Amino acid sequence: MNQAEVDTTQLLKGVLDLAVLAVLAEADSYGYDVVRRLRENGLDHVGDASVYGTLRRLYQAGALNSYVVPSDEGPHRKYYGLNNRGRKALDQSAQTWVSLSKALNHLLNGRSNGHGK
Amino acid sequence: MASNDPADDVATYASSVRAALSDLPPAQAEVLLEDLEDHLREVASEAGGPLAERLGPPEQYAQELRAAYGATHAGGSRQDPALRDLRLAVRAVTASAWFAQVRAFLPELRPGWWVLRAYIVVLLLTEAFSRNYNLRPIPNPFSSRGLIEIIAAAIAIVVSIRLGRRNRALSNRGRLLAIGANVMIALIAIPVLARMSTFPSMAMMESGAAGQSQQLILPSGVVTNIYPYSRDGKPLTDVLLYDQDGRPLTTSQNVGDVTTEYPGGADGQPITNAYPLRQQHLNGDAVSAPRVALPPWPTASPTGTPPMSPSPSPTH
Repeated sequence: MNQAEVDTTQLLKGVLDLAVLAVLAEADSYGYDVVRRLRENGLDHVGDASVYGTLRRLYQAGALNSYVVPSDEGPHRKYYGLNNRGRKALDQSAQTWVSLSKALNHLLNGRSNGHGK
Repeated sequence: MASNDPADDVATYASSVRAALSDLPPAQAEVLLEDLEDHLREVASEAGGPLAERLGPPEQYAQELRAAYGATHAGGSRQDPALRDLRLAVRAVTASAWFAQVRAFLPELRPGWWVLRAYIVVLLLTEAFSRNYNLRPIPNPFSSRGLIEIIAAAIAIVVSIRLGRRNRALSNRGRLLAIGANVMIALIAIPVLARMSTFPSMAMMESGAAGQSQQLILPSGVVTNIYPYSRDGKPLTDVLLYDQDGRPLTTSQNVGDVTTEYPGGADGQPITNAYPLRQQHLNGDAVSAPRVALPPWPTASPTGTPPMSPSPSPTH
């Protein structure tokens, strides 16, 4: 694991809840599928264990409901979906994220404007 | 250890992760890890290659899980050092490759236990319903009891296997009950099996007549009959013999083709220590007395009472 990966992992950790909630808001999903969809959306460095642990924690916190879907090809899959609490958590986190990212973008833009030319 | 079987790989990897998280409070670990195997199986089925290659070492995976779940770290809580050492030792054992292999292999022994527990249950029932019955590891098929035991064992094995196969669909509570019942069978079996280990000596006693306790065996062979003679060489009949503890002295009857007929006492019990025994060959001929060489006594008069006689007197 090189330095860039470590940094990405650290950054991801803070927003993983939000990312997982956002993926589940699109469609109910099971553990490994959540990992795949996060990676498809560009979060390449998201760790399998981090996603699994986050799902279990959100479920434990009452933000998700879960149900088991039998699968012909492999093991039964435990699907997770947002409940009201989860949707509320997603809305709040999303607002926080938007304002945070605005502030950060502003900071970064200022830095690149200041030093760029 | 790169295993080719994905199921083995999953079991090995999962047990290593569990071992690395064994310091978590049980309730927390339960919630965090209950779908771990299913999840890993999903990962394994998605693409080839051992899990350790694709997910990193299980210890690192466990650390990531711990962090993502926000679990309390073991180092944070104050702990008895002895307890911590024990926990570390347990973790070292449970994290080892052979433990994972044993753990993955154990479920394959289940059908063996299903057969064994049926056999044990039949033994227990035999023991419960027939006290004093000589419990044998393998029942004698030529006795009616043994035959019943064998048939019962066959039925019990079929039932036990059916129960075992159905258990997978049990609810949590049913599973607990089933585990309890299995442990009970195993525990009760211990004293019964211990008792059974004494079976050879009991079988020897069983082959004799009821109430019999002594069998006379000399270095030259088994004694089947005793022929007493008086001092002057006359054969005696119905001489009662007892051993040093006052028990009736009896001989082996089941020797060759000889049958013994005991005289009945006034109380209806056979008198088994009156010698010589009346014995017959199977063809009905009486067993004849052996020829004996009587020892020559000193020439002193047999009617006199020698002063130095060592023979015990009943009044002394």
